[in-house]
Amino acid sequence: MPGTNTVRILDGNTFVVSEDTGDIEATPSEPTGLFSLDTRFLSKWVLTVNGERLNALSYDDLQYYEARFFLVPGMATHYIDAKLSIIRERAVGGSFRETLTFLNHDEKPVDVEIRMDAGSDFADLFQVKDEILNKKGEIYREIEPDRLRIGYRRGNFRRETVISSSVPARYDQNGFAFSVHLEPNEQWNTAIDVQTSAVGPGGRDLRMGLRAHGTERLALQQDLEEWVARAPKVNSEHGRVSHTYRRSLIDLAALRFSPLSLGGQTLPAAGLPWFMTMFGRDSILTCLQVLPFAPALSKTTLRILGALQGTRFDDFRDEDPGRILHEMRYGETAAFEEQPHSPYYGSVDATPLFVVLLDEYEKWTGDVALVKELERECRAALKWVDDYADLVGNGYIWYERRNTDTGLENQCWKDSWDSISYSDGTLPPFPRATCEVQGYAYDAKMRAARLAREFWGDPAYADQLEREAAELKQRFNRDWWVEDGEYFALGLDPTGRQMDVLSSNIGHLLWSGIVDHDRAAKIAGHLVGPRLFSGWGVRTLAEGEVRYNPIGYHNGTIWPFDNSFIAWGLRRYGFAEEAATIASGILDAATYFDGRLPEAFGGYPRDLTKFPVEYPTACSPQAWSTGTPLLLLRTMLGLEPHEGHLAVDPRLPIGMGRIEVLDIPGRWGRVDAFARGRMDMHELAAS
Amino acid sequence: MLDATTRFFEDLDRRGFEPLLQKTSGTLRFDLHEGAQTTHWLLRIERGNLHVSQEDREADTVVGTAPRLFGELVTGSENAIAALLRGDMTVSGDLRLVLQVERIFPGPPDARGPRHAFQREAR
Repeated sequence: MPGTNTVRILDGNTFVVSEDTGDIEATPSEPTGLFSLDTRFLSKWVLTVNGERLNALSYDDLQYYEARFFLVPGMATHYIDAKLSIIRERAVGGSFRETLTFLNHDEKPVDVEIRMDAGSDFADLFQVKDEILNKKGEIYREIEPDRLRIGYRRGNFRRETVISSSVPARYDQNGFAFSVHLEPNEQWNTAIDVQTSAVGPGGRDLRMGLRAHGTERLALQQDLEEWVARAPKVNSEHGRVSHTYRRSLIDLAALRFSPLSLGGQTLPAAGLPWFMTMFGRDSILTCLQVLPFAPALSKTTLRILGALQGTRFDDFRDEDPGRILHEMRYGETAAFEEQPHSPYYGSVDATPLFVVLLDEYEKWTGDVALVKELERECRAALKWVDDYADLVGNGYIWYERRNTDTGLENQCWKDSWDSISYSDGTLPPFPRATCEVQGYAYDAKMRAARLAREFWGDPAYADQLEREAAELKQRFNRDWWVEDGEYFALGLDPTGRQMDVLSSNIGHLLWSGIVDHDRAAKIAGHLVGPRLFSGWGVRTLAEGEVRYNPIGYHNGTIWPFDNSFIAWGLRRYGFAEEAATIASGILDAATYFDGRLPEAFGGYPRDLTKFPVEYPTACSPQAWSTGTPLLLLRTMLGLEPHEGHLAVDPRLPIGMGRIEVLDIPGRWGRVDAFARGRMDMHELAAS
Repeated sequence: MLDATTRFFEDLDRRGFEPLLQKTSGTLRFDLHEGAQTTHWLLRIERGNLHVSQEDREADTVVGTAPRLFGELVTGSENAIAALLRGDMTVSGDLRLVLQVERIFPGPPDARGPRHAFQREAR
């Protein structure tokens, strides 16, 4: 688990996690290092002066891709007298670059020995994450006059770290050093470059020619400025909302990731530090969240996921024809098939959500060409839903992993081992079906019917899909309704027995539209009721359930992204106040994290803790948490594409004040939306 | 194993069209190295239309592997993306073409596929 003082900078899937001095000293439990392609390329990076470690006076993470550290020699107790100060400035972007500046503040000249200890364990991210280190290959070091090369070789698999300095250094096995003479008030600096490479036998790097933008600092700066300039502006009467929006927008820029196969186009990676890669579910849901603000990400995501859609049966990868991938990895464990991520397909929601995103994207952008381009992929996805996902043969999407060693047991978004249970706390057998996925399937069929009718020229297919969707809705409302509690079951087991716990998953059902209208009010009531709603947001599992734990990963914590889709669903069924309650709770929580919502926070009641308690190992920034404030804005402002124009129907709580969103892009060109808090929320809160 | 490779390419040539490659155009050359000897297969794709020859001509993408590994890839017992990450298969030129063509390789011969264990009896 990263300590609280870690500093993280990143660009795509290259990132550095270090201590607040800039040093890296990785241990199995401390995932610091320079990472790229899911591999740690530096596990040791320690700067000393005359053999002494340095102390941090301060650090700035200036932009997501650069940071600056102000350091002095010696321990905290006596650094005040320091006559020497050191500035460490670093950036990632292709390679890792660090400029070291030494300033002599003394009236006398000094001679200093500057040394950087450098080393790498070339751990696969999975080995770091799961704390296993059992490398099958060998590490080598080559000292050249102008560089230090540290490499790892296992068969033809080779990863190398190459370190060089603008000022000539003395390189050795364990790092490099300089002897420097500094006159009074003189400064000395050197620029260090750390190249990471994934070399094949031909000497060619896997990643050649893949970058979305230039790797130089200025190019990164310009890219970020353009990204922010292209997005709508958000102004709010209380600065909090606009601050959170801006933070999210920048984090979203940081999380853009250019997969190997896309020639430099980007899609959102799932999150730092463990998930800087392509995830079907996370990438799609993030795209849905940010569509009104950054529609281009959807196009890329749909294209790449379509291009990697499953085509055959592969039990190790849980691949089927038509299935949308779950996760792609580039490290050693994927390469040697010790992990199945090349890519792994074990998710049941990404496939219907792929269709949902395409339809939603067209409604906003009018990009008919993409709808036509991806017709085959959509049909294959829907065929997967009918032919390969219905393991029980009763018209629902089920899952049971075929890779029983390294595949995922739970293939829905709540994918931890104990997330899906009966109300007595026991875990059901396989195959399992969870409720929200049936909602996605319903929505996918309804949306695909529109696409088939309007763009694919296939009204018969459209009719068929609508008929199937209607049957699914009817069946679902019959089989999944928990009579006692008046909500939908979390899941079904293969005998049809309900997992009758009250969970946040029911909120997604509103978003999908599968809930019968006369039951929606009950669902809305549960979502903002005391068992599920903490005051900040909706818990993954309701208080009072056997497995409820306010810091249980999927059994009681609050996930901002989950809440954003729940709020969207409430709005869809006309529960604007309930939606606003959740939206303002989550946006309030965001202010405690300086606008950066974590993956999850504790389900403790708001009036007990007064502030949201971050889940211990939460991943941050994480794409779908980053996308959350954007979807909440959409929800509160009631932004909906409607017959070619943008409808705006704001429903804000009074406390939210005025909010304006300027230059919302879409098929209408650019449109502004203005909103003012008019809703008195006390009634709902008191009930 | 060369037999499997020849069968694979001959089958592609005979098929003439592959719907999975309908959006793909470009040329790939597969260089199968064994000692000093290299066997070439040239695959030309024009929006899904396939044409195979054994020419050693310039191509958008050049893939290099051992003949044995390639035989295993086209019969599904090895996976191309893992082989690429491992360095056992090299690619120069447009990587996207390989990732598209890789999708027409079969799955493992022993794959069971989804297990419909409770065929229409639950409800």
